[in-house]
Amino acid sequence: MRSRIPHILLLAVGVLLLTACYESSDVTRHEPGVYKGEADPLAKKLENDGELREQLNQRFDGQRDR
Amino acid sequence: MKLIRKQAQATSSSDAAKRGSAFDRRTFLKRSGLTASGAAVAGSIPLGMMRRRAHAQSDSAPAGGNVEVKRTVCSHCSVGCGAIAHVENGVWVQQEPDFDSPLNMGANCAKGAALRYHGLSDKRVRYPMKLVDGQWKRLSWEQAVEEIGDQFLNIREESGPDSVWWCGSSKANNEGSYLQRKFAAFWGTNNIDHQARICHSTTVAGVANTWGYGAMTNSYNDMHNCKAMLFIGSNAAEAHPVAMHHILRGKENGAKMIVVDPRLTRTAAHADQYMRLRPGSDVAFIWGLLWHIFENGWEDAEYISQRVYGLDKIREEVANWDPATCEEVTGVPEEEMRQAAQTLAENRPGTIVWCMGGTQHHIGNNNTRAYCVLQLALGNIGKSGGGANIFRGHDNVQGATDVGPNCQTLPGYYGLSDGAWKHWARVWDVDYDWLKARFDSEGEYDSGDGTLAHPMNIPGIPVSRWIDGILEDPESLSQRNNIRAVFFQGHAVNSQTRGPEMKKAIEKLDLVVISDPYPTHLAVMSERKNGVYLLPTSTQFEQIGSVTASNRSIQWREKVIDPMYESKPDAAILHLFARKFGFADEMFKHISVDDSGMPSPEDTLREINRGHWTIGYTGQSPERLKLHAENRHTFDTTTLVARGGPCDGETYGLPWPCWGTPEMKHPGTHVLYDNSKPVSEGGLTFRARFGTEHEGNNILAEGAYSKNSDIEDGYPEFSYGLLRRLGWHQELSADELATVAWVAGLREKPTGSASEQDVAEFRDLESDALDAVNWKTDLSGGIQRVAIAHECAPFGNAKARAIVWTFPDQVPLHREPLYTARYDLVSKYPTFEDRQSIWRVPTRYESVQNTDHSGEYPLVFTSGRLVEYEGGGEETRSIKWLAELQQDMFVEINPADANDRGIKDNQWVWLEGPEGGHIKIRAMITDRVGRGVVWTPYHFGGWYQGKDLIDRYPNGSEPYVRGEACNTATTYGYDPVTLMQETKSTLCQIKAA
Amino acid sequence: MARMKFLCDADRCIECNGCVTACKNANEVPWGVNRRRVVTLNDGLPGEKSISVACMHCTDAPCAAVCPVDCFYTTDDGIVLHDKDLCIGCGYCFYACPFGAPQFPKTEAFGVRGKMDKCTFCAGGPGEDGTEEEFEKYGANRIADGKLPACAEMCATKALLAGDGDMVADIYRERVMRRGGRPQTWGWSKAYGEG
Repeated sequence: MRSRIPHILLLAVGVLLLTACYESSDVTRHEPGVYKGEADPLAKKLENDGELREQLNQRFDGQRDR
Repeated sequence: MKLIRKQAQATSSSDAAKRGSAFDRRTFLKRSGLTASGAAVAGSIPLGMMRRRAHAQSDSAPAGGNVEVKRTVCSHCSVGCGAIAHVENGVWVQQEPDFDSPLNMGANCAKGAALRYHGLSDKRVRYPMKLVDGQWKRLSWEQAVEEIGDQFLNIREESGPDSVWWCGSSKANNEGSYLQRKFAAFWGTNNIDHQARICHSTTVAGVANTWGYGAMTNSYNDMHNCKAMLFIGSNAAEAHPVAMHHILRGKENGAKMIVVDPRLTRTAAHADQYMRLRPGSDVAFIWGLLWHIFENGWEDAEYISQRVYGLDKIREEVANWDPATCEEVTGVPEEEMRQAAQTLAENRPGTIVWCMGGTQHHIGNNNTRAYCVLQLALGNIGKSGGGANIFRGHDNVQGATDVGPNCQTLPGYYGLSDGAWKHWARVWDVDYDWLKARFDSEGEYDSGDGTLAHPMNIPGIPVSRWIDGILEDPESLSQRNNIRAVFFQGHAVNSQTRGPEMKKAIEKLDLVVISDPYPTHLAVMSERKNGVYLLPTSTQFEQIGSVTASNRSIQWREKVIDPMYESKPDAAILHLFARKFGFADEMFKHISVDDSGMPSPEDTLREINRGHWTIGYTGQSPERLKLHAENRHTFDTTTLVARGGPCDGETYGLPWPCWGTPEMKHPGTHVLYDNSKPVSEGGLTFRARFGTEHEGNNILAEGAYSKNSDIEDGYPEFSYGLLRRLGWHQELSADELATVAWVAGLREKPTGSASEQDVAEFRDLESDALDAVNWKTDLSGGIQRVAIAHECAPFGNAKARAIVWTFPDQVPLHREPLYTARYDLVSKYPTFEDRQSIWRVPTRYESVQNTDHSGEYPLVFTSGRLVEYEGGGEETRSIKWLAELQQDMFVEINPADANDRGIKDNQWVWLEGPEGGHIKIRAMITDRVGRGVVWTPYHFGGWYQGKDLIDRYPNGSEPYVRGEACNTATTYGYDPVTLMQETKSTLCQIKAA
Repeated sequence: MARMKFLCDADRCIECNGCVTACKNANEVPWGVNRRRVVTLNDGLPGEKSISVACMHCTDAPCAAVCPVDCFYTTDDGIVLHDKDLCIGCGYCFYACPFGAPQFPKTEAFGVRGKMDKCTFCAGGPGEDGTEEEFEKYGANRIADGKLPACAEMCATKALLAGDGDMVADIYRERVMRRGGRPQTWGWSKAYGEG
């Protein structure tokens, strides 16, 4: 009898340990094909900044034969 | 691998650190001065417009920021590409395209796009050094100037001023190169030259003797208007890449493009027709084309009768070049020749482009004149879309040729006659007799035709031959002694032939001085252990000045960064030595020198303006050039004419001739000899340079004249006498007449303004001295002004001459190269007889050609350029971004020739020339070259006959890429008119290493 | 919405390598890494053609599709960029890329590669724009400054064009019409589909 309690405890601890491996809330779920890196403010800027867009288009004139 | 930027005192900081903290676009614009026209405007105008608006402000320091925007001009070829430099805290942090430049519209080649590396280079000579027992020892500038100066003065004392040989540079700006020539004159020698000698000297001589000026007649931009383009000996895609922008636009506009070259070059890859020419057979090729043109009556008969003299003698020679004979000599089949001739005939105006493939031959002057004759026969000269578009090499080789160090002439092609010296003595405001006394006065020497002359009047020893000035027996030289010391300011000796003899010559010298940003091949190629000095010299990005592009447009170049390390600009170094030699006060009499010892570029240009009447370098004042730079976006990219704005109606860069004084506001001349325009708007006639008649024939123009001309026929060059005969002399102002009378020696130099009373005695004076003052010597510009007021060309109106009776071959003849693979042709087309003295040195022809080397050395050896490198390559091989792209010296060899020798691709081989020089290089097996012809680039150096000389460079200054100089294996051979070296057709043998 | 594209006009390209050094200059790319290079077909033979090649910023970028750590992203303008902090240097993208664009600066023993490096269309990378860190990792961010890629802006013959795909196509169409030839938009259909 004396030796059963520790066994149960060990089992319980073991289960807890194993569970911890699968249930950590820190891990991101992997969705293939979705960008995982840091955000790029330029992307947003290109989307919203009409002036930058116009500037780039104007700049493009330099590549014309003129 | 991060690149480290170097500042003047060798402190370093990373690029990113220099960029500072993050800044957004607006702060960036503010910092770079682009919003200087006002915040309210800047907020509402898109960048493109702001950019244009910002030009006017680009010179001024930006408010509140430390990023400066500088506008510079690429220093790697003659196209004249602009580039924008962003400089922060003295460091060149960013390079931007100069979209507004009408010459390049922002475009750059590999070299131009890598300009910023000039501001990063860690391979520079950092401080003055001398070689002591094989070790480089650091000196102060003071020590260096004292030591070198004392030795030069000593040599001068012992052996005369001609015993020091000076070399200037096509990479110096106009001001620097002009001072190089002036410096030599004040030292007392004509022994000064620069690399134009081995670049286009045969062009300058051949072309100037045909129609007046030895320069590109049209422009790169004008090639948009061509209907046909014939490239012979030009590989623009590698040598002038941005020119290809204009060329391909011309092609897209419908021009037919023909490329003639021994190699199927990258330029040929864009051609409509490619013809493979045997090296050295250019005259035969052109006469072969003309044979078809004359045969079919495709020549422009009216043009010829009005504007060309001597074509009948050409016809007689051309008759010898029937298709079979032509194919025998050139290797080009009849059908290809006929097709090309027809293309040129049916697509006019057409242009011809040639470069060193045409000029660097021992009959180079014959080649260039033959090209001219072809264009004259087709009536293509003096027309937009036509012309002889001679692409020059270095960024300022045109300018240095015009105003700079040449051994056969004073600045402005005035020559070396007493009259020329007196003209320059007047411009320099020095006493002619004092100047003459600076020269060797111990004797007179053979001037080349057996007559004796004063050393002041004998051309000096040219770049191609300085080694002979050292090696020849002094008895055979036309000067007192051998050359004992050399001073090189901006020249790569590995671009010259006969490497082993050069090595011997260098070892014989008392003293070698190298003033250059980099150590150069000269510093390492010999076994010298002592007596070599290195003077750190600034690049063009570290100084201000003007630079003349191939099309004669002059551009103002701003300083990007301060001189790096301890370097000084060319002009500042010359000033130091002028002071040491005791003639600084005379030499810089009208040129102010600032506290740093830098002679004012503006003052220097104004002095150039005051003296260069011959070629119209007189109207391009610093102020006008700066105005053009600021408003460069207002110029049309095809006509180069400004439309509106402060430069309205002027041509970009005021291409010379820009006649008269700056106040006269001549717009510059875009297309030379274009008589469809008035002279006041850039029109011209052919120059009356060769008298008015030849063998009883009139050689002035007949019935052809420039638009609105008051003289509707040919006329000689303008002089006071001609003005008097025309009754136009009364139109000279009192000031102008006073100056004319002074130049004539009839009165004192005018000081201040002259009144009508002051000159009354000259108004109706009939005097030979007064009459002889002409458009070239009149320092007032009055004669030019009056001529142009009547819409006449100051230099007269003559016919171009197809024959040059003052040259060895009146009619250009084909002559076999001295080392020829077709020895069977030598008896029919032999070279010249040996000459006792050309420009002070004996010059051999038939005694070299007498030996047949074609058995032992069966391969024709020719050389050329790679796009990544320039000239001798020391500078560009030290630019990491370029060096990475071409890491090995190589030889192009046809698969058949390689298989015959058991050579595999990329294998090391020995290439040996018939004079014994041999080089160890890699084989590149390619059909680009035909069978029997091999080709190497000529930009490599730092190796000698199999050995890397890395240990001889001052610590760490060896270029990233080193290799054999091809000219270690090249041979003897010089043009009899200009002493151009023969590099484009010699022989060699190749075997596996 | 603009769509940024590169186009190399093979009739204009003269293999001058201006684009290559412009890239090195703007981005300070180290020796041995070539974000852009010029490829010549039939070198030295009749019909020789050259094309300047870098990352084409493909519409359906194969590199992104195969990346095991998903470090790629595409801006709304179609510029394909990647996060070097995530990249593990596996080299899959190199195998997937039809243009051979991805570069690996460090090649060490046992096949360990450095982080992948490639053309960014001069648009830097993730994180704050215009910073020292961005420059160190990705090179210049010219787009944020209102400028287009240095290679195209400096092209010697304006063979290489970069910018809004419609504007690029307009210029090219005009040239083709003038030449009366067939269009040679090398690599376009592969990178951007038939659209």
